[in-house]
Amino acid sequence: MASRTISKDIITLKGSAAIVGDILYNRGVYPEESFAKVKKYGLTMLLTQDDGVKSFIASLTSQLSEWLESGKLQRVVLVIMSKATSEVLERWNFNIETDAEVVEKGVIREKSDKEIMREIQAIMRQIASCITYLPCLDEPCVFDVLAYTDKDVAVPFTWIESDAKLIQNPQMVKLHSFDTKIHKVDTLVSYKNDEWDEQ
Amino acid sequence: MMLRTPPQRKRRAESVAGDESPVSDRRLVPYGGGAAAVPIASAEPSDPMVCTYHCRQMVKSEFMVAFNTLERQVGDYQARLETLHEQLCRSDDERKKCQDHLTFLEQELAATKGREHALQERLLKEVTDSHERHRAQLKRISELEVELNRESDSRKTAELSAASAKETIKDLEGKLQRLTESSEREKNMLKKELSFSQDSLNLSASKLAANLERMRLRAENSEKEAELLKQELKGLREQLNECLHQKSEVEHKLSRFSASSNQNTPTEDQKLVKLLQEEIRNYESEVREARRLRSSHVNNELLKEKLLEEKGRRERAEMELSKLMEFQERAQKLELELLSWKSLLREIPDVSCYDDIPKKFAALQKEVIENMIKVGEISASLKELEVKLEDASLSRQHAENESALAKEKAESAALGAKRLELMLASVTEERDRLKKDSFVLDKQKAGHTNETLLKDLAEKENSIREMENSLHQLRELLSHQHEELELMNEKLNVEARKVKSLEREGDRLRSEIALLESKLGHGDYCASSTKVLRMVNTLAVDNEAKHTIEALQAELKRTQEKLQAVEELKGQSDVGKIIDANIPEKLVQLKSQIAILEKREERYKAVFAEKISVFRRACCSLFGYKIVMDDQQRPNGIPVTRFTLQSIYAQSDDEKLEFEYESGTTNIVVNEYISQPEISHQVEIFIKKMNSIQAFTANLTMESFNKRTLS
Repeated sequence: MASRTISKDIITLKGSAAIVGDILYNRGVYPEESFAKVKKYGLTMLLTQDDGVKSFIASLTSQLSEWLESGKLQRVVLVIMSKATSEVLERWNFNIETDAEVVEKGVIREKSDKEIMREIQAIMRQIASCITYLPCLDEPCVFDVLAYTDKDVAVPFTWIESDAKLIQNPQMVKLHSFDTKIHKVDTLVSYKNDEWDEQ
Repeated sequence: MMLRTPPQRKRRAESVAGDESPVSDRRLVPYGGGAAAVPIASAEPSDPMVCTYHCRQMVKSEFMVAFNTLERQVGDYQARLETLHEQLCRSDDERKKCQDHLTFLEQELAATKGREHALQERLLKEVTDSHERHRAQLKRISELEVELNRESDSRKTAELSAASAKETIKDLEGKLQRLTESSEREKNMLKKELSFSQDSLNLSASKLAANLERMRLRAENSEKEAELLKQELKGLREQLNECLHQKSEVEHKLSRFSASSNQNTPTEDQKLVKLLQEEIRNYESEVREARRLRSSHVNNELLKEKLLEEKGRRERAEMELSKLMEFQERAQKLELELLSWKSLLREIPDVSCYDDIPKKFAALQKEVIENMIKVGEISASLKELEVKLEDASLSRQHAENESALAKEKAESAALGAKRLELMLASVTEERDRLKKDSFVLDKQKAGHTNETLLKDLAEKENSIREMENSLHQLRELLSHQHEELELMNEKLNVEARKVKSLEREGDRLRSEIALLESKLGHGDYCASSTKVLRMVNTLAVDNEAKHTIEALQAELKRTQEKLQAVEELKGQSDVGKIIDANIPEKLVQLKSQIAILEKREERYKAVFAEKISVFRRACCSLFGYKIVMDDQQRPNGIPVTRFTLQSIYAQSDDEKLEFEYESGTTNIVVNEYISQPEISHQVEIFIKKMNSIQAFTANLTMESFNKRTLS
């Protein structure tokens, strides 16, 4: 049971990591040549070759997996900000609903990995199609990851409490979700209104 | 009628004869005919016979006249009879026609009866169906009302529970606000601690920087000292060389002296020997002093090491002292926190100790979870209500359709009844007309009675009355149905109003859900149950910190190396200050060591040269390329190793490949040979596209081999 939850956690994390890489590639946060296509867990993932980003994501996923296993992780938000002004331009919101029965009582819920991967691939395709309506990021951008956890979670020394980095009057688009029967991940992107669109 | 004998009439027969009577011309016509009429002129002879005969003739004539008139009357009567007969025939025909008409009407009546009966049955069926449907709808409505009442009760209870939950939530929020305030206070305190720690870190960093500067200054000083010592060393070496030179001269002199010892006088020998002995004693004393100095130097080094160790211990002790201070400060802060937590505990109800806090939190969380579950159940019940509303609306629409159909049917039944009434009226009119005709016929005919017609008519009247009664009943039924339909419509209106109110509630709930979803998408969260975390070492900070740390570490290493070198030089300079008596021995030893090392080096060189030549020959024979390695330096000072490859199948000396090797990467250098189109094409395919130099060289050897073999 623990191994099943761990495997589903891995799928959830790897799917989320694949989606994060996809977002960074499609939004042009890092140059195209710094990404390499890797096929893992049935997914064609775009992984950055930048050592700094790799180590950042590795340490991030290790902590997130711990929180995910204990059912304390509520939401993961990928924030894209302007490098010059630190203004938040986009928020990719991944809402995680954990089945409390599975975490606490170890109830078994079966769902094939293929189906889960299919759902993740659908989300990745949707993210690729988001380029058509999301505003262009013309300036250099940086990204950060926020984790929404339960209030009683002990804060590791490499993490600090932060504000939610919200966007004022955002436009929101809801994307597909994927469900491992233990965790259900809903994806939503909110972005700053483009001035040209407003005009 | 026989008239009595009339008086004679004169010339009466003449006058009578003038009249043209068909029957009698007042001439006596003998019986037998043919004889001409004998005129009455001859009446006088037999007057009494003639009278009676005249009377008879008169009577006959009168009788004939009467007979004629009677015949005429009979003829008239016959004509009349015929006409009457004709009239009878006509009346019979008319009667037959009327009978046919009557049978036709009876058939129509029977048909209409049948239709009415069928209509009645259909109406009854429809009425029963509509009754049943109405009953079913009433049942459904009653059930829905019961369910609505239940739902409203449950909603009220849920509202009450939600209100109570809201109140508890408000209380909890108040408590949580207080807790957040306390946590903010703690945060502020922790921030202050952080600032203190940062200040302390800055202080330590400044101390480290100061130490570094001191070390740098020391290093500079030591470098200067080292330079000075080097200069001293040079001087000492020069002195050593002079001493060695002198020593060699002395030895030479000694050797000469030993050779010519027999020739010199003993006094000079004794003087020389004394001098030498004195020098030897001096040297021995110097050697002893040097040994003492050496031992003292070793002791000094040991003392220095001990000093360093003690310095390290002292620094550690100072660090620990500072840590102690920090720990003391933290302990004070923790005590303050404990006091604040204790005060908080006193404020929180049902909590007497720290162990109760998690239980209280767990209880509060459970309450919140239960309330959330209730909210979820309420939302589920709302959804069920919505579904039921939809069903009720559908049933209402169905009932409306059925009522419309029933109305249409009632209207059609009413139209049919009107048509029947009109038919009845027409039938009664015909009946009256027929009655009149029959009465007329009865009057005309003496013995003709239409008892059967009257009976039929009476029966038809009875049936018509019965139909009228049934029509009345149908009308009453229709009126009842209308009333019921009106009642149903009123109920439907009420249900429609309820449905609209429930739809409004559903819309309100949907708008609330949309608001919540928008809040979720916006990023809002409940601060009481959620906190937002991010990694401290983001990429930029991490890189900067790494760079600074690496730079500081490199500086530290350099300064440490400089210190070690300076200390070694110091040690060496301390030794070199004193003239060592064992310098020649040491020199000999060093020379022998140098000679040995040089020999070894030469041997290694020779062996390496042999091995490398073998390796190069093997590489050439195996891979087909003669490899020449050359170390070069780029204009920017970076060292680069250049490899020049020449194939054994090359047809000219210009066919050379050049590669540059730098820190693990090998790049091809463009020259005349490579700029040829064939070779450049291969370079593009194998090196630039496939990134394989091995494939390129292998392909080139194959091509050159093919060229050689073919040529």
